[in-house]
Amino acid sequence: MSRLTKAAAAVAATAAISLLASACTGQSSGSANDDASKDVTITFWHGWTAPNELKAINDNVARFEKAHPNIHVKVQGNITDDKINQALRAGGSKAPDVVSSFTTDNVGQFCSSGSMADLAPFLAKDKIDPAATFPKPMLEYTQFDGKRCTLPLLGDAYGLYYNKKAFAAAGITAPPKTLSEFKADAVKLTKTKGDSYSQLGYMPNFHGYESTTTHLAAQWGVKYFDANGKSQVAKDPGFTAMFNWQQDMVKSLGGFGKLEKYRNTFGDEFGAKNPLQTGQVAMGIDGEWRLGMAKDAGMNDLGVAPFPVPDDQASTYGKGYLSGTIIGIANTSSKKNAAWELVKFMTTDTDAVVSFANAIHNVPSTLAALKSPKLDADPGFKTFLDIAQNPDSTTTPPSINGGAYQLTLQDFGYAYESGKSKNLSSGLQGVDTQVDKDIAQAK
Amino acid sequence: MTAAVHPLLKAKRRKSALRTLAFLSPWIIGFSVFFVYPLVSTVYFSFMKYNGINAPTWVGGKNWSYVFTDYPFFWPALRNTLWLVVVMVTLRVLFGLGIGLLITKIKTGAGFFRTAFYLPYLAPPVAATMAFVFLLNPGTGPVNHLLGDVGLPTPGWFTDPHWSKPALTMLAVWGIGDLMVIFMAALLDVPKEQYEAAELDGAGPWHRFRFVTLPNISPIVMFAVVTGVIQTMQYYTQPLVAGKVASGVIGNSGQQVEPGYPDKSTLTLPQLVYERGFQRFDYGSACVIALVLFVLSMAFTALLLRRNGFLSAED
Amino acid sequence: MTQATLSPGTATTGAKGHGGPDVRARRTARRKQTLHWIAVHALGIAAAAFFVLPFVFVLLTAVMSDNQALTRDLWPHHWQWSNFRTVWDTPGFLTWWRNTLVYAVAGTVLTVVSSLPVAYALAKFRFRGRNLVMVLVISTMMLPPQVVIIPMYLFWTKQMGMDGSLWPLIIPLAFGDAFTIFLLRQFLLTIPKEYTEAAKVDGCGELRTLLTVIVPMIKPALAAVALFQFFYCWNDYFGPQIYASSNPGAWTLSYGLESFKGAHHTNWNLTMAATVLVMAPVIVVFFFAQKAFIEGVTLTGVKG
Repeated sequence: MSRLTKAAAAVAATAAISLLASACTGQSSGSANDDASKDVTITFWHGWTAPNELKAINDNVARFEKAHPNIHVKVQGNITDDKINQALRAGGSKAPDVVSSFTTDNVGQFCSSGSMADLAPFLAKDKIDPAATFPKPMLEYTQFDGKRCTLPLLGDAYGLYYNKKAFAAAGITAPPKTLSEFKADAVKLTKTKGDSYSQLGYMPNFHGYESTTTHLAAQWGVKYFDANGKSQVAKDPGFTAMFNWQQDMVKSLGGFGKLEKYRNTFGDEFGAKNPLQTGQVAMGIDGEWRLGMAKDAGMNDLGVAPFPVPDDQASTYGKGYLSGTIIGIANTSSKKNAAWELVKFMTTDTDAVVSFANAIHNVPSTLAALKSPKLDADPGFKTFLDIAQNPDSTTTPPSINGGAYQLTLQDFGYAYESGKSKNLSSGLQGVDTQVDKDIAQAK
Repeated sequence: MTAAVHPLLKAKRRKSALRTLAFLSPWIIGFSVFFVYPLVSTVYFSFMKYNGINAPTWVGGKNWSYVFTDYPFFWPALRNTLWLVVVMVTLRVLFGLGIGLLITKIKTGAGFFRTAFYLPYLAPPVAATMAFVFLLNPGTGPVNHLLGDVGLPTPGWFTDPHWSKPALTMLAVWGIGDLMVIFMAALLDVPKEQYEAAELDGAGPWHRFRFVTLPNISPIVMFAVVTGVIQTMQYYTQPLVAGKVASGVIGNSGQQVEPGYPDKSTLTLPQLVYERGFQRFDYGSACVIALVLFVLSMAFTALLLRRNGFLSAED
Repeated sequence: MTQATLSPGTATTGAKGHGGPDVRARRTARRKQTLHWIAVHALGIAAAAFFVLPFVFVLLTAVMSDNQALTRDLWPHHWQWSNFRTVWDTPGFLTWWRNTLVYAVAGTVLTVVSSLPVAYALAKFRFRGRNLVMVLVISTMMLPPQVVIIPMYLFWTKQMGMDGSLWPLIIPLAFGDAFTIFLLRQFLLTIPKEYTEAAKVDGCGELRTLLTVIVPMIKPALAAVALFQFFYCWNDYFGPQIYASSNPGAWTLSYGLESFKGAHHTNWNLTMAATVLVMAPVIVVFFFAQKAFIEGVTLTGVKG
């Protein structure tokens, strides 16, 4: 070894050791002893991008600033969850004080890692009883392991969209309520053309945009985890029933290959050529936002109803899959009290919640707002409000590693529908094993 | 050898060593701080549980066994890489050689052709990938419109697990410009006399290619293959953007991005580093994958280095 | 006479020594050549179509109306040039453009300045361990950024507090870039040592020799490596994705382009217009510096 390389090695080693030593420090968490009545500027991150959504959120913030003249809010849109998670770790002057996320998937990660502040002391301080303020499913998906680190900020509900013209043409008078009625209607609404379709009753393949495993499984009222937090998709009969139902639908409507080929002619989900909007499919499962999007695209023939339920659960008709936007306070924030004022205003102020919900066509997230007379009276929208309040509606529970378990289940769904995976029960057991392993790795 | 070195000579040597050190100093600092330190650190973190918030804790081989036995994306990513190495690298080299040969034969408008062949290589990867996702959109893209018009099958391209890698291969073959130029230069370097001698011996075009051209350019073919393999193991932007854009899921729409859409068929190792490290915040297992990537890259780099040509310096 | 030249087959019998067989051979050779020319150029045109058509489709879609962008008509009904304007006026687009330019220009200057002395030492100095340094340079050149990204990310964000900026990508370039060092060294090897020695005889130190004698001689190589680095920075996606993504004020074009599609709910015409605007500068730069560029690419593989 030459002197030079020795010197280089020495430099490298010294640098490595000193840097390594300092890389191991833990995160210092900010404290909640700032004075929220003093002049202060907080940073708020959200993910909205469309101009009308941006206007709505800015109006909302402006109302807040008017009510709290000493608190100034720097709003930053177009932020994804990965970035939120990243910034919550990095901290620093550019890091946000208040963050919101479009998905409930990461609540488990936020709460268990401590990257978002525990909101219980703030709620207690202001004497807000969450159970009396927010709908139950929303309360559940905003906490993890008994730790409430987020609150709901509007919600999403999933229901059935159907083409009224196609229904009339096929002589169907009312939307189906049970899955057997749904199947009969779907078959009736399907018109083949050559080796393809001119109209398909329903796209059962899991990649058919919102017809995913998790959205559909909600119709069986499934439970993903047992009391010990172990995955139980093989044990809960709902999952097996859902997969069997999906297989049956695929078979009745022409088979996986043919359907997949037809799916490839669909326009993009969020584009004007969404198959529900073009009439390529007559029925589909989708969120409440589709109402506004269809109208914007000039499609006025879409009717909405709750998605049908299994025949043996007919009494629970009206339920659906729920999700929503969540909001919380970064643990690195040094202005937590001021940040809380914004969170409190946006999540619990009835007028704020109602006007925001009306502006972006989402489901309001407080019990008071859901009953507010100022809420948009559109009957289609009302359907989703009812789904959101249905006691049997469910959501995907938060998990320590975010939505990883849902992806595992989805992946199995794709393998099963395409015939790559043949055995349902052993496949679902495989999902359980994988989910448990991933959670063990994240713990 | 005599132990006594003239003091003047000694001073001169020291001066020259210092000078060398001074010239090399940017690299020495860069190499130490931005390579040696983080590499050592990566090894260290691969044995730790660390999520960026709580202090790291020692977990021994847990991350390693998770990645190799339990991580559902690891083997699919390796299998995809193998597929791409076999098909994409081969096609790129063959196509690059073909285009290189073609360009040396073109007499009229050579400048135009050279530019046309070269330009796609320069297209920013994100832009080029989005363009291809649009062109190959199964339902509304112009390529399937044209295929359908002439009665050919219209594949799902980036939305079909069987067609997503062929679609990526098309994108990679489209950006062949770098190989074309390298092969072109190599072909022009083949001594003319050898062709003339072969022609005198009555060798046809195929024989001339097989026995004159190929032996002469084989080092370059080798270079193209090995660097191609290395690049393929590190394939990141195109498969990631293609999967994200084709799935219709853009991170902030509230839906989960499905890694390697469709059906894990576009997963590659670097994407796993991102998934583990920057989506699941499991830095430990991210570092394990980073080290796998390191070892694989180094193995093929060693292959390259065995051709001493790289090291020959002016002496 | 005219008959004879038109049909050489009959003419040869009568007029011997008139160059008959020779002419015939030359003619068949010429005919063969013409056929060859046609075949080669037909192939060339077919290949050119494959390479150029995607650009054409992208351009045509970029000027279509939103409704037409997904239809079978490939030719715009009316040329909606305002799409470019719409994209340009998108909040953020100008910022992304500026950030990309800063990253690319600063990155290029720093890379070339810091790599040149290293390459010079590796090409012209004799010292023990030179081959080892060379091996290390080539090795790092072949490694993707993902290999060391976790510690680097922790270093830049936790120690330096630089999350949400492009500095973590620019600063390291002030300490040499393996690929640039390698390329410049390959080029410097081709310069006969008589030049440097002559300069030394004139009493120049190594640094002055490098700056006054070598730099003017290797301008094409410097241009080539500068272009490579410029394009690398311009096209970089992973770097900005890691460091700049949490701050839209620091996004680059490559990173912003993808989010653009999300924000516009797949308005393909606007997305393609944005794509054109991202590609355009690269193509313009290429046309101005084509020669240096192609020389540079050649250097990567051939001069081994």
